Amino acid sequence: MSAHRIAGLGRIDRSRTVTFTFDGKAMQGCPGDTLASALLANSVVLMGRSFKYHRPRGLLGAGAEEPNALVSVDRGGGRFTPNLRATAVEIYEGLNVRSQNRWPSLKTDFGAINDRFGRFFPAGFYNKTFMWPRSFWDKLYEPTIRRMAGLGDAPIEADPDVYAATYAHCDVLIVGAGPAGIDAALEACAARKQVILIDEQDELGGGALADPALWPWLESSLNDLAAAPNVTLLSRTTAFGFYHDNFIGAGQRLTDHLAEPGHGPRERLWRIRAGEVILAQGAIERPLVFAGNDVPGVMLASAARTYLVRFGVAVGDRVVLMAVHDSGWRDAFVLARAGMKIAAIVDLRAQVAPDLMAEAAELGVPVEMNSAVIGVSGRHAVTGAEIADSAGGNRHKIVCDAVLMAGGWTPSVHLWSHSKGSLAWSEEWGAYLADKPNENVRCVGACAGKWNYGTGVSIGALPTPDDPATIKAFVDFQNDVTAKDIALAVREGMKSVEHIKRYTTNGMATDQGKTSNLNALQLASGALDRPVQAIGLTTFRPPYTPQTFGMLAGDAKGALFQPTRKTAIDPWAEEHGAVFELVAQWRRARYFPQGGEDMHAAVARECLTVRSGVGIFDASTLGKIEVVGPDAAEFLNRMYTNPWKALEPGRCRYGLLLREDGFITDDGVSARLAPDRFHLTTTTGGAARVLNMMEDYLQTEWPDLDVWLTSTTEQYAVIALQGPKAREVIAPLVSGIDLSSESFPHMAVREGTICGVPTRLFRVSFTGELGFEINVPAAFGRYVWEQVWAAGQAHGITPYGTETMHVLRAEKGYIIVGQDTDGTVTPYDAALDWAVGKKKADFVGKRSLARPDIVAPGRKQLVGLLTDDPAEVLEEGAQIVADPRQPIPMKMIGHVTSSYWSATLGRSVALALVQGGHERMGETLHVPMPGKTIAAKVSGMVFHDPDGSRLNG
Amino acid sequence: MADAAIRTAPVPAEPARFDGVTISLGLPLARWSLRGRNPQELGNALGLPVPGRIGETAGGMACLGPDEWLLRLPEGSIIPMGEGQPLSVVDISDRAITLIVEGDRALDVLSSGCPRDLSKLAVGEARRTVYETVEIVLIREGETRYAVEVWRSFAPWLHLALVTAASHLPE
Repeated sequence: MSAHRIAGLGRIDRSRTVTFTFDGKAMQGCPGDTLASALLANSVVLMGRSFKYHRPRGLLGAGAEEPNALVSVDRGGGRFTPNLRATAVEIYEGLNVRSQNRWPSLKTDFGAINDRFGRFFPAGFYNKTFMWPRSFWDKLYEPTIRRMAGLGDAPIEADPDVYAATYAHCDVLIVGAGPAGIDAALEACAARKQVILIDEQDELGGGALADPALWPWLESSLNDLAAAPNVTLLSRTTAFGFYHDNFIGAGQRLTDHLAEPGHGPRERLWRIRAGEVILAQGAIERPLVFAGNDVPGVMLASAARTYLVRFGVAVGDRVVLMAVHDSGWRDAFVLARAGMKIAAIVDLRAQVAPDLMAEAAELGVPVEMNSAVIGVSGRHAVTGAEIADSAGGNRHKIVCDAVLMAGGWTPSVHLWSHSKGSLAWSEEWGAYLADKPNENVRCVGACAGKWNYGTGVSIGALPTPDDPATIKAFVDFQNDVTAKDIALAVREGMKSVEHIKRYTTNGMATDQGKTSNLNALQLASGALDRPVQAIGLTTFRPPYTPQTFGMLAGDAKGALFQPTRKTAIDPWAEEHGAVFELVAQWRRARYFPQGGEDMHAAVARECLTVRSGVGIFDASTLGKIEVVGPDAAEFLNRMYTNPWKALEPGRCRYGLLLREDGFITDDGVSARLAPDRFHLTTTTGGAARVLNMMEDYLQTEWPDLDVWLTSTTEQYAVIALQGPKAREVIAPLVSGIDLSSESFPHMAVREGTICGVPTRLFRVSFTGELGFEINVPAAFGRYVWEQVWAAGQAHGITPYGTETMHVLRAEKGYIIVGQDTDGTVTPYDAALDWAVGKKKADFVGKRSLARPDIVAPGRKQLVGLLTDDPAEVLEEGAQIVADPRQPIPMKMIGHVTSSYWSATLGRSVALALVQGGHERMGETLHVPMPGKTIAAKVSGMVFHDPDGSRLNG
Repeated sequence: MADAAIRTAPVPAEPARFDGVTISLGLPLARWSLRGRNPQELGNALGLPVPGRIGETAGGMACLGPDEWLLRLPEGSIIPMGEGQPLSVVDISDRAITLIVEGDRALDVLSSGCPRDLSKLAVGEARRTVYETVEIVLIREGETRYAVEVWRSFAPWLHLALVTAASHLPE
């Protein structure tokens, strides 16, 4: 029996047992165990298979750095999480864990054949070998390699969990609740600052949890902090990223450790803005690089101490320590004092401090100085270690069941680096330490290099008498990068650490090289014969450890993903069977099918009813801007292409808005309500953009103008009532407005009341019929709609949706900006010359309209298209050619922008952008489609009521 | 003015109650967006006190920006519209609705999605800010009472977001 529980030690609750399963086998642990400690207590040391070679792997560490022991946890019902570190999984009753990257089982893994042929899979193997033939990559190479190499399976079911998010603010945020972090928290607490202290583990204490001498201090300190009203303690919370202005992202795990997760959020995203950030992330022990350093049972010395002191688990019965640093000696002494047999302390150094030698002698631990482990026997578990002196002599074997590595310490500067703080190389630590801050942040404790672990040396790989080309000495355990891969990368010309990283994949795994970066640097330094500082350091990026997408999304899923904007009339439309479509962020009624109608039938009926009687349409989503101030007319005159200053109060005008490049960006009908007050309308999707654009000009170009813009889109519900009977329908409902054509002509606006509700009543039309747009305060929109609807019953009123609106406007040749224009269409291209004020000194886009390419012939211009076969409805977006008999690829001269069946005309109608279109009137063009070519004649854009007499009814 | 009985609101009239916080629909209000180059001119034109510091409120008027104020008065109130003067008075009574978030944990609920440090918002202060992606005007009406002004079509989303946040508060 190798690893096992030791009586009387640890912080676990031995009064209770917790049953969990690993690969289907039931096991017991205690509350307070991680999966890692519980497996060790059950003598399980084989916990995973490596990424590339499928080598058997056990625990390397005891914390966030663990690269080997990755597992999948399946809670059922879609709750499946792969690639969890066994060291970070808390056990609970019924926990169901599976090992990964093995088939058929962890002990018998066919993929391990990769290990036998490992010499054929050096770094860069995949890139070089699977290049040709190119077409094989997508279908064969990539899927096969992906199946073979890898981590856990991606979940395939929808995540049933909910997640929460919050913001938090504090004077001081401390990351890491070890001794240094707790001291910093006590100090800030005493200074009456608002403090947040977060730690990734279930239990606060960090390194103090593995040092019983600190436990009384830890308990009293945590009690003090918990009682302080100005301190928030967050355990199971990982600070995963440090962003601008002391903004920290942290993920708090709420239910993953519970046997019954309940219905509350699984995790909470904390977005913390801190006055000062104190990083107390500690340091991570470095492994040593030697042959067989990945056999299950070879682990960090500090991890063995943690398993013993915190969890009461001995990692073995006969333990060998391989050290280049004093800290390992002290860890070994702790193990020895607990009764574990230390078979040998092997140290590469010629001598160490006399007190270490004395204590070893006192404990009866054999010491082999100036020596190194050169091999490890055992495949699924350590059975022995081979040792030689540093010259390669005195080879001998020691029977043991665990090998501990003490390679020195790497301060965790990950978050410091996220914050763009600079780093400085420390010879003493053999690591980079925080140097100059870029935010209000400082490091404390081991994280700052201010912790006494003793002294040691830094070395890329232990010396070995064996041929380095024949051994596998691992640098990056998770990505299976060996010392010889680093050497190969250098031989192949990689000189920068960034290139070496990408060539070998060292440091690119989910652990981001927490245990491998420094060893890889030392090895590259040796191979290149350049100092470590000259090779550089790869950049740390968030997240510090892998985080769930669910936590990052927080509440933003399902109905909260983004707002779906609905009008005041939307519920009525829903009750009346409307089919909806999304337009920008809005949901709009598309058509109102009756009695099993399809869209074609419903739209045809709605169109005919509007043309012959009356239809009602919810136009509330139109953008509205109130432009107020003495310079309102001057401002609009500068923005729009046409003249606005002479527009009389009570009248409306179509406005065309260009960008500075002369292309159409928006349009709409606007009304002058008073000399200093206009009511603008914009397209539905353009509302925010147009307001921003106008504000931009007002604030940056013309700050002298006394005019202000206010969005009133949501102030008004807009009910469009269109059709020859529109006036008859509203006449009984309207007060204070003379509706007669003489006093209220087309393109006019009046204020009065409708159904007792104040209204801005527009006489405008986007259908070509007599029409009104009834603006009422949004809260009364539904009421007025229902009154108009009721009044319209006697006139055969129909509700209609956006699809019918599109057909009716296309029959009249009214464009829709963004459908018939695409950001490259000028007013001339769109046959809107009439809307450009030729005498105006300036307007936005005017100068661009004189650019050579804008006035050149052959531009794409908007025209009508009438198919030779009236029953043929062209497809929107279809390409147009002049001669269908030309060889493929044909020259395309334009495309269809709008196309509909017109029930009114009994034929199809279409609009299209065609090169030189305005000169092609009557010409037959061709639209090649699969299996046929459709002939169509170029026409004007107004298909119905060309003289506009119906508007003035 | 039209009858309250014929109004519709985009969120439920029934308050959503949680341990420590209630989220409810505020009363309809008369609202105006006021713009002008300086507070004195605006005050003279309206005959109302005009707060001069961003965030300050006075008599239902909140200063939202260097040249922008939000005036909230009881429904049916009437003010001068400033015709011909170098300022802008626009009726936005129905552009927004008010959600009242009240209770000991109101701050926690609002902080779930609002990036401002709301503990620093004094009673009587108002700020234009966001809740996640949605623009709001937040007015701290009392020690534990906040009025959240939100544009009508975004109100159902915000209501659901606040209710969800309230149901997800830590113990």
